[in-house]
Amino acid sequence: MTAPYLRMHAISKHFPGVAALKRADLEAYRGEAMALMGANGAGKSTLMHVLGGIVSKDEGEIIVDGRQRDFHSPIESLEEGVGFVYQELNSLPSMTIAENIFADGFPQRYGRIDFQACEGKTREILQRLGSQLNPRATVEALNTGDRQLIEIARALRRNPKILIFDEPTSSLSQRERQRLFDVIAGLKRDGVAIIYITHFVDEIFAVCERVTVMRNGKTVFKGQIDQVTSQEIVHEMMGTVENESRLAPDQKKQSHIVLEIDQLSRADELQSISLSLREGEIVGIWGLLGSGRTELIRAMIGLDPIDHGRLRWRGQDGTLVEIAPESLHALSGIVTEDRRGEGVFLPLSTSENIILPNIRAIANRVGIVDRGKQKKIARDMIRRLGIKVTSEDQTVATLSGGNQQKVVFGRSLASSPRLFLLDEPTRGLDVGAKTEILKLILDLAAAGAAIVLVSSELEELMRICDRYLVMSRGRIVAELPGAASKRDLLAAISTRRATPEARQ
Amino acid sequence: MTVYQTEAPIPELRSRLIRPLISFALCIVVVAILALYAPSFFKLNNIINILVQTSTLAVMAVGMAIVMIGGGIDLSLPFNAALSAVLGAMYMRTTGDPAGGLAVMIITAIAIGAFNGIAVGYFRMIPFVVTLAMMTVANGAAVWLTNSISIADIPDAFVDPFFRRYLGIPLSVYIAVVVSLFAILLSSITVYGRWLYAVGINSKAARVARIPDRKVIALSYVIAGLMAGIAAIMLTGRLASASANLASPTIVLDVVSACVVGGISVYGGSGKIHGAIFGALFMTLLNNALNAAEVTIYVNQIVRGAIIVAFVAFDRFAARGIAR
Amino acid sequence: MTVNLASMVARFGRRHGFVIVILIVYISISVAAPSFFGTGNLINMFHVMAPLMVVASGMALIVMSGKLDISVGSTAYVASAIFALLMRENTIPVALGWTIALAAGLAAGTINALIIVYLRVNALIATLGTMIAFRGFGLLLTDGGLIEMPEAVKPLGNVMLGPIYADTVLALIIVAAMHFVHRSTSFGRQITAIGNNEDVARRIGIPVDRRVFASFITSGLLGAAGGIMYTMQVAVSTSKIGEGMEFIAIAVVVVGGISLFGGRGNILTAVVLGALLFQMIRSGLQHLGANPYSYRLVEGVVIFLAMYVDALKAERVGGIRLRRQEET
Repeated sequence: MTAPYLRMHAISKHFPGVAALKRADLEAYRGEAMALMGANGAGKSTLMHVLGGIVSKDEGEIIVDGRQRDFHSPIESLEEGVGFVYQELNSLPSMTIAENIFADGFPQRYGRIDFQACEGKTREILQRLGSQLNPRATVEALNTGDRQLIEIARALRRNPKILIFDEPTSSLSQRERQRLFDVIAGLKRDGVAIIYITHFVDEIFAVCERVTVMRNGKTVFKGQIDQVTSQEIVHEMMGTVENESRLAPDQKKQSHIVLEIDQLSRADELQSISLSLREGEIVGIWGLLGSGRTELIRAMIGLDPIDHGRLRWRGQDGTLVEIAPESLHALSGIVTEDRRGEGVFLPLSTSENIILPNIRAIANRVGIVDRGKQKKIARDMIRRLGIKVTSEDQTVATLSGGNQQKVVFGRSLASSPRLFLLDEPTRGLDVGAKTEILKLILDLAAAGAAIVLVSSELEELMRICDRYLVMSRGRIVAELPGAASKRDLLAAISTRRATPEARQ
Repeated sequence: MTVYQTEAPIPELRSRLIRPLISFALCIVVVAILALYAPSFFKLNNIINILVQTSTLAVMAVGMAIVMIGGGIDLSLPFNAALSAVLGAMYMRTTGDPAGGLAVMIITAIAIGAFNGIAVGYFRMIPFVVTLAMMTVANGAAVWLTNSISIADIPDAFVDPFFRRYLGIPLSVYIAVVVSLFAILLSSITVYGRWLYAVGINSKAARVARIPDRKVIALSYVIAGLMAGIAAIMLTGRLASASANLASPTIVLDVVSACVVGGISVYGGSGKIHGAIFGALFMTLLNNALNAAEVTIYVNQIVRGAIIVAFVAFDRFAARGIAR
Repeated sequence: MTVNLASMVARFGRRHGFVIVILIVYISISVAAPSFFGTGNLINMFHVMAPLMVVASGMALIVMSGKLDISVGSTAYVASAIFALLMRENTIPVALGWTIALAAGLAAGTINALIIVYLRVNALIATLGTMIAFRGFGLLLTDGGLIEMPEAVKPLGNVMLGPIYADTVLALIIVAAMHFVHRSTSFGRQITAIGNNEDVARRIGIPVDRRVFASFITSGLLGAAGGIMYTMQVAVSTSKIGEGMEFIAIAVVVVGGISLFGGRGNILTAVVLGALLFQMIRSGLQHLGANPYSYRLVEGVVIFLAMYVDALKAERVGGIRLRRQEET
């Protein structure tokens, strides 16, 4: 057994309101690829950010090649030989490929950039990656797959000893994915230690030698790929609280359709989405970043434009009438994916946050707000949802993640909407808070609201959904009934279907 | 996903208390200088003088504060006032109609404000660019229309009210008080005010919360335009003349400084209107103090430049989670 | 066939559009005011716009990084004041006078850089403050403004190198140098990267703070250089020097094609052609016998249009970029 080239030991990291890493471990070996797996929020990205010098650790050690290291900035990490290929592309659009690759370290001669050397090396690296792109081409014009290749090229430029790939294949076509695997194989031959973060279990069997699974900020499993099955891995990712925690009732009456979405499309991001929703139904949508699930919700309520498609809503008389997204926004309860960025107004008080979307309802004709009413509504909501605050005036920034999320719900409840669009409503919350929110969602459904629940945590969906939809690349690729077994669901989400070629 | 948090900086409770204390302390310093160098300062007459000087700056600062709370900035505000004053004066010179002149000033100013508002609110252009462009056009227009000469034949009916005192207090002060009250009420108890702060804190979240963010932002510039118009009236009335020189970059600095000193953040979403008014008072007192200490107007300028930098820098340090 | 022709014309127009505009403007003015036409006036225009070209090339660098420096006019004034004061006594060599005045520009740029990078004050507010403060400082030194320089200096400011003026040559050299820096040095490329997306640049490992710091020092230095050049041309330093120059410099840069959003544009063509356009407007208005007070209005309208066009162009081209800018 060779010693690991990289050892991350007992790493802990706290963000305000959230414990992202709790004594997590990871090892990586030269010439091997280590798969790093876990559900959203499990901590894998954070752990890698610690390694990449983007966030600082609170506790723990990082040992590279036998020496202890601490990375305070991306530059330090780069200099130590850690390369990072991010999930989000770091492109400089108006600049050329060669410039993008060498942006932080141009080869120079007598003070000026040696463009020939630059372009020469770029061509070399690109060829190593199997690409014939012209180093002089502007990045702006390239598609996602090529842009990612440039990210990898930039990381390779420094001849890293450790190379981290963060969810590299979510936007790649079949062909591009295969090319990536070939590249990784080549890197392994060159002795690079690879850390491969992904969601897709089947991929790691093609590329990796070892696997580490994280859950809730901890490392829960470490092993060799040839000694483990994909079921076991997913089991570790999801945790064991499966069947007994099903909260929803098994039978539900058939009810009216309240919302019909008909072939909603927008350019590359949403492809002809159609679905219908019934009263009291909870439909779960599962998808990765980039699958279009958040885009779908945003398009439904008019935050982003639609190119084609219609929405139909059940009116008072019981018929389905076409409705504009903005109108749908007005009558639905929304919980967005990005709680801190789009959900709450951190500097404002709890009561202010709660009444804001419906503030006109408590103002008189001239527009003056009735503070008394505001207080009452806020207090009601706090009581109803069990939000732990010292008073309704407490600033939302000081609340815990779970309570902040309840505030977001509280905002929508005031107008008793018949439709709820929930995007990752339990992200970043601890187990207790998660259960409370899920129970709340069930209550809302029981009272007759139709609910769309978007999540990348299968466990969560399985606890309360009546139906499941799987999205990928802007399409609904699978639909499963509420009675689907865990195995069926895992099969649907962990394998890549034959996806259409990347759009050019 | 950056090293440093990207949320809007939230002032710690501690600094929320410290800030007004510092402003207050500075005020004491300024008053002390005045007491030292100009004991005659505290005579009633002079105090009223100070209030009159402050009133125009306060009106403009209120307009700027509203725009800034919403997350924008309006560099063209003083130049809007100058152009509106010039147009109104020209109208009155031809027709001798003071009421009409009043109307022209207000309407022009609101129109300019609306132009800015539509560009920033609906076309999503950058406030600095839009108002900078407007500033140059407004200034150019005013210079061209007047050939850089002041228009001095303003009808008596327009000017007289500004020279009289009502219950011992000049009209300018009343105007400033009314405007301030209006703005304070608007920002603190109306729906619009709540919307404005929300948009300034986080316009994305505002959109999700069903706030009509475009309208809110556009309207803030219209209000700023209205303030410019009122300032135009006050300036023309008090000076009994209108010219392109009513505005200058120094005045822009003063107005922005008044807001910053008063606690209005340049990033939006925080600060109260009464802070801006206090800031205007502070800037006026400062000016007077520096004059009284016989500091040259040049050092005066240096000090003013330094003050705004100091206050903004302090605000950055005080804010928690410094967003790089 | 016609479709191809149309798209070819469109592409040609887009690439060389600005040159075409310049030609059209030149021809139109020449037709309206024949005295405008001719090499004599052309050489003269390039002479008068030399200081503007110098200042604008510094501004181009700042704008390329996605920031703004509105204090350069005041920096130009301070340098002009210091230079004039030194020359008035006629005791020190001109070259020394230059050096000291340029050093003042360097100091001004450093002050801006410190405030923006270390105190983390927003560039607009910071340079708004220093714009006023620097001018105040200059006025303090000169006690009000008007400094006349000895007669000996004036010819120096208007010396010719063959058919064209020396300062035109110097200005063009400086612009070319900045262009070279932008295109072919690591500093220039990294500034462009910062203008593309500051967060990405940081993540990639570019020392953003150091580069921004250097860019503001450069802007101060070039602002001073422009101020000195202008003072030498007119042999006098007045309190009005440089007033509004920063906004014209920004306009020159934007009109010339460097986007205010940062990261795009060609410095050489932008500065030379942009400054030429503005100088043609000024000169043209003069030759047309227009009311001198209309200059500011016409310039203002051109600035206005340029900025609106830039903003609308950016919205269309970099829609995503704009949204991301919103997010930060």
